Amino acid sequence: MQRRDFLGFSIAAGFSMAGLAGCSKSGPLVFGVHPWIGYEPLYLAKEFGWLPTSVILSSGSTSGDSMRGLLSGELGGAALTLDETIRVWSQGTELVVVAVADVSAGADVLVVRPHIAELAALRNQRIAVELNGVSGILLLKILEVAGLARGDIITVDLPVSQHAEAWAGGEIDASVCYEPTASALQREGGVRLFDSSDIPETIFDVLVVTRDTANRNPGAVRDLVAAHFTGLRHLVRSMHDAVYRVASRQGIEPVNVRNALATVMLPDLAANQRYLVASGRVEAMARSLSRLMLSEGMIRSEPGFQRLCDPAFLPRSVP
Amino acid sequence: MNARWRSLLLLVVFVTGCLTATIAPARDTLTFGVFAYRPESIMRERYEPLVRYLAEQVGAEVKLEVLSQENMSRAIAANRLDFFLTNPSHFLLIRSERSLTGVLATLVRRAGDTSTASLGGVIFTTTGRDDISGLEDLRGKNIASPGVHFLGGFQAQTLELLEAGIDIRRMNRVRFVDTHDRVVRSVLSGDSDAGFIRTTLLEEMALASPGFLSQVKVLNRQTLAGFPYLVSTRLYPEWPVVALPHVDERDVRRIASALFAIEPEDEAAVAAGITGFSPPADYQSVEYLARTLRVPPYDQIPQVTWVDVLHQYRIWVFTIVVLVMLLFSGALWLARSRRQLATQQKRLKRLVGDWPQPALLIRDGVFVNTNRAAVDLLRYASNASLHGKSLGVFSPEIQPDGQLSRQKLEQILVRVRGGYVEQCEWVLQRSDRSEVWVDMTLAPVQDERETEPVILCSLYDITRRKRAEQRQRLAASVFDHAREAIFITDGHGMVIDANDAYREITGRALNRAIGRLPPLPLEEGSGVFASARHQGFWTGEFSCKHQNGEALVLAMTISSVCGDRGEVSHFVGIFSDISRLKEQEQKLRVMAHYDSLTGLPNRVLFSDRLQQAMALSRRQGGKLAVVYIDLDEFKPVNDAFGHEAGDQLLIEIASRMRSVLREEDTLARLGGDEFAAIVMNVQQADALEGLLVRLLARVAEPVWVANHSVEVSASIGYTLFPQTDDLDGDQLLRQADQAMYQAKHQGRNRYVGFSAPSG
Repeated sequence: MQRRDFLGFSIAAGFSMAGLAGCSKSGPLVFGVHPWIGYEPLYLAKEFGWLPTSVILSSGSTSGDSMRGLLSGELGGAALTLDETIRVWSQGTELVVVAVADVSAGADVLVVRPHIAELAALRNQRIAVELNGVSGILLLKILEVAGLARGDIITVDLPVSQHAEAWAGGEIDASVCYEPTASALQREGGVRLFDSSDIPETIFDVLVVTRDTANRNPGAVRDLVAAHFTGLRHLVRSMHDAVYRVASRQGIEPVNVRNALATVMLPDLAANQRYLVASGRVEAMARSLSRLMLSEGMIRSEPGFQRLCDPAFLPRSVP
Repeated sequence: MNARWRSLLLLVVFVTGCLTATIAPARDTLTFGVFAYRPESIMRERYEPLVRYLAEQVGAEVKLEVLSQENMSRAIAANRLDFFLTNPSHFLLIRSERSLTGVLATLVRRAGDTSTASLGGVIFTTTGRDDISGLEDLRGKNIASPGVHFLGGFQAQTLELLEAGIDIRRMNRVRFVDTHDRVVRSVLSGDSDAGFIRTTLLEEMALASPGFLSQVKVLNRQTLAGFPYLVSTRLYPEWPVVALPHVDERDVRRIASALFAIEPEDEAAVAAGITGFSPPADYQSVEYLARTLRVPPYDQIPQVTWVDVLHQYRIWVFTIVVLVMLLFSGALWLARSRRQLATQQKRLKRLVGDWPQPALLIRDGVFVNTNRAAVDLLRYASNASLHGKSLGVFSPEIQPDGQLSRQKLEQILVRVRGGYVEQCEWVLQRSDRSEVWVDMTLAPVQDERETEPVILCSLYDITRRKRAEQRQRLAASVFDHAREAIFITDGHGMVIDANDAYREITGRALNRAIGRLPPLPLEEGSGVFASARHQGFWTGEFSCKHQNGEALVLAMTISSVCGDRGEVSHFVGIFSDISRLKEQEQKLRVMAHYDSLTGLPNRVLFSDRLQQAMALSRRQGGKLAVVYIDLDEFKPVNDAFGHEAGDQLLIEIASRMRSVLREEDTLARLGGDEFAAIVMNVQQADALEGLLVRLLARVAEPVWVANHSVEVSASIGYTLFPQTDDLDGDQLLRQADQAMYQAKHQGRNRYVGFSAPSG
């Protein structure tokens, strides 16, 4: 179980990949996407008919589906976190970041027992974390900020969905998690000690395509990115409408959608231009992340990317 | 100075204004306007508790005004309202007309246990309308709507339909009935096929009359989890509460805090059907909607300057400008070349049409285009009379070379279609059946698009040339075949051409004759050309020699030939060989003056010579004698031995007498056996007598004729000249004759001188 799964979990069964998986690469761009607030603009674009026929959304239930699809070549692109992008690249599929969907600003949280008042106090505490996901990255960053090493804490590798149970059973002292687990733990007396807003512009959710797709089918990639920004505009400008639509699709309450929106930054076109420039924030972050992940053994080899981001696919303006 | 006074005045006004603002107390009564989206009674019932609540909280009287949109706009314009609550579309319209302090709060509507700050539009019809089940079915249907400035009652639905490809405003089937309640009534009564109302209204009505929801059918229903109402469109923020700028800031603050303080359980909230007010929502989406639909206040097309357009679409503008320029220059070029082509074509047409030589165009074997000259040549009335006819129609059946016209023409056309240019002489038949010789040139005019090439047929009338050729041929045959020699010389008399007869007569080969003078009279030489030059011709006879040395007599005429400027450029000579003619003439002359038997002059020549001798004698003063000689005893010889013997005798006697006489003397035979002689320069009678004696003696000698020796004698009479009387020749001869008779009388073989009879 990986991060970003909780929103789509209940409806995952409803999505079918069967019809989309076999699509040829030279035809429309098959783009893997799974439920996450940052990826909602694409779903909104699809719902309002702003997605051209050159792009087919292949809805998976988790990011794992997208990563597998990219590696197998079934997908020409997917919505992933930056660390997932590095994982895929390190396994041999070269990717290009064509847009930043969102930047986590509080979505990922460290909830601790009340007696832990500061990060330094985490030493020798049992921390539940899903290492194989973005939570693992947050934990690494937390340790970095706290000045602790991996060995200074007791890592409990546990899927986020089981954190509440472990908390109730007193098996853990802290949890690296996200909504709604974070709120649940807080109701149980947990305290938010740290979240991704403390490390701004670190956890990126991005739209990536394979290098092959970017070269062979640039028109479809442009269509995809344009559709994302059209959907994003509706999400931001018509939030009164969008929250209900997101809630409907994800099967949650509108208020949860509002809360989720509060924990992410949705960069507009100008911000994207800034993020995606050569040696911009995304590339810099990706380099530091890949070093970190290599040192922690999360990946076997550092992806030797010269150029990860390409702002060339960004539209000049949102229609 | 002026400026300073004006600044001072402005300062005073400003300070006074500020003082008034701070000093002015809060108003006693605040007016709270609410847009009556439902009947006034319902609105009052709902909002009176809220207004009372506000009055309590603010500590001032708050008056509720329930107004239609128009009235609210008017009241705001008159500053009669301090706060108002209306739908977002109407708010945008008001905001565009006057400045506002902004939205204080956004209404949060209650829906059972939940609430929402969003509203949307509902498109509905009655349950019974099976023909209307989707947005597509609304085409051409009557639709009831409260009004244009209703967000949930018009604009939200219009956008939804527009995105589905249906522009209901263009269909003009929307009726505006002012309120949502009337819309519902209109649809239920069947006056309208469908209605546009805002969310919450159906549910509110269902509360009032249970079972109402079963009567209506919502179209394009959106499934939005957590949204408590039936809805057909996307959602927009709920109504805003707005304060007007003239309201005291403190009042605004108090009202705002009172609004935010409302709890869902409060009486005011329950009565109004709300759960309270939230911080102001972002009304961008409503603005965007109004802009998209171009409804007021965004019904004006924005003034876009050229600079904006250029800035926005510079690549497009550049491309279009380049394309337009290309197009324009292309069109110009095309027009120019078209004009050139037209001019060229016209010129060509005129050239062909006016060309003095006949020209025709042949396609598929028939004439398709002809010029005036062709029509004239064939003596037809107009071009049209030639069109559609083949060349064969205008040709006689057989050409002069004996070939059938049609066959020959077909062969020619096959070659021309093969790409060759053919030229030949051809006889055409005119409309009046007369024939005309033409030099015909047929050339293919190649055109890739046409399988059958167009053939240009150009004709050149050579009838005159043909006739001239005929004449020339005749002339040449005269020249070649004439028996007379003909030659042509240049202006200096040098032969440049001559015919066969020339060669035959002169014996000179043509190459030896040309470049040299023709045969000319020796004495005149080339002077004859000068004569011919002056008189136009020269004619004469002369002798010359054949190449083989034979003597020739030529009769020649030389004529001068004048050139263009009247100067003599050539001479034409014609001559014939008259040698034989001259011989004949000579013979005739001999026959006329000589005796054919003896060869002696006859009587005619004798008379002639006598005359001459007499004339000479008179001039020189000498004497001459006329002697008459008659043979004696001639007849018996003639009788005895025959005429031939007599003739031999005469020839012998004549020869003997001739030998006796001197060269200058003349002996003539006058006829039969009579002879006469003129003896010149008789000095003395003795000499004459001696001569006469010798004569008699020679005559008397025996002559051997017819194997016989014959002896004859002569009787001679003579007379002398001059005598005293002037005598003529005949008289002299008669005197001699008389004297001869005397000699006869005296016994023959003697001579007797004439002596005038005494008397």
